[in-house]
Amino acid sequence: MIDLVRLTDVNKVYQGGITGALNGVSISVEKGEFAAIMGPSGSGKSTMLNLIAGLDRPTSGTITVGGTDLAKLSEGGLARFRRDTIGFVFQFFYLLSNLTALENVLIPAQLKGGDAKAHARDLLDKLGIKEVADKYPARLSGGQQQRVAIARALINNPMLLLADEPTGALDTHSGDQVMELLGGLHRDGQTILLVTHDAKLATRNAARVLSVVDGRIVDDARLESPERAASEVIRVRSEETSR
Amino acid sequence: MSLKYGVLGLLKGEPLHGYEVKNRFEAMLGGTWEVNIGQIYTTLQRLERDGLVKPVGQRGDRRKLQYELSDAGQKALDQWLAQPDSGPQQLHEDIYVKLLLATRIANGDLQPMLARQKRTYLQRLRDLNRLEERARHDGRIDLARLVRGALLHTEADLKWMDELSSERFGAEEAE
Repeated sequence: MIDLVRLTDVNKVYQGGITGALNGVSISVEKGEFAAIMGPSGSGKSTMLNLIAGLDRPTSGTITVGGTDLAKLSEGGLARFRRDTIGFVFQFFYLLSNLTALENVLIPAQLKGGDAKAHARDLLDKLGIKEVADKYPARLSGGQQQRVAIARALINNPMLLLADEPTGALDTHSGDQVMELLGGLHRDGQTILLVTHDAKLATRNAARVLSVVDGRIVDDARLESPERAASEVIRVRSEETSR
Repeated sequence: MSLKYGVLGLLKGEPLHGYEVKNRFEAMLGGTWEVNIGQIYTTLQRLERDGLVKPVGQRGDRRKLQYELSDAGQKALDQWLAQPDSGPQQLHEDIYVKLLLATRIANGDLQPMLARQKRTYLQRLRDLNRLEERARHDGRIDLARLVRGALLHTEADLKWMDELSSERFGAEEAE
């Protein structure tokens, strides 16, 4: 397998505070993996995602994505990298309120040039929201807005999809649906890195869970997915001997 | 959980003989509780002794003997269903005692134990997720609800491990 993402001894120091800092993080993520990054608030998990996305630069250490050393890219090169290689889904969607759902999806494609409208409509259809294409974000539910944001993240067929608490602002049902969509994308071959607080949702799709505490990876758990009989997973038991 | 009331509940629908009770009980529990036929017969005999069920028809071959709910059985079942579960919280797993012992034996360094246990809980969450998915796929919403309860419990177990591993908890202990 090919390492799609590789972090080698990555440090990130923030002036005036330690929250979100990273201390010597080394990990690699293979193509086609769905990995979850979990940890308490301020542990540095979002920082990891931002560095991998090229939204920020590390204080020291090396980050390569798809074989590209991000440190070697100029600001312009980094912007092209983000546009072409990375899809990013955020907790609070960040849709532009004066654009329709379809226009929001098209933003990264327009930066690239070319007509991607048909692809955008296909994506909305695939994500089950083709009927909202011409609506403005304010008219959409949270779950719909997040699905529009996922379509926007996918419009340039990114090598890597990053999601930072994508269900954090959603109710349980919408969160389930969004996670189901991410699972479907993964089954179609999409590499996904997910930051989340919710271990229930994370383990639904991710076969790998990285635990981050105080800027360090403290555990890298690879989970199995065999078909287990119900009795191997749950035992409802009786303590009774009825009289 | 009570086999006795599970049997009473199943007999509320229609008269059943021992094997039918066993099969329906296990199917209801979705394989999370297996009972042997001997337990079922013993339970039925005790329920009959206490007047909560009564045999239908001639007493002969016990494998063919059907039982139905009596009025007293109906009343007992209704009362049981109406009562909230109370009593002390059940903590069945060894981790509770291991934790106490490790605190003494391992000189307070619990991290390796917590890390191993945490992985186990993550794997359990993954297994439970698949079980819930399967239950929903099979149209067993009732069973999916049971699995959901187990998922939330395991999530709490995981949070407990995180809390125990965190520096904050260690600092409190040191004070």
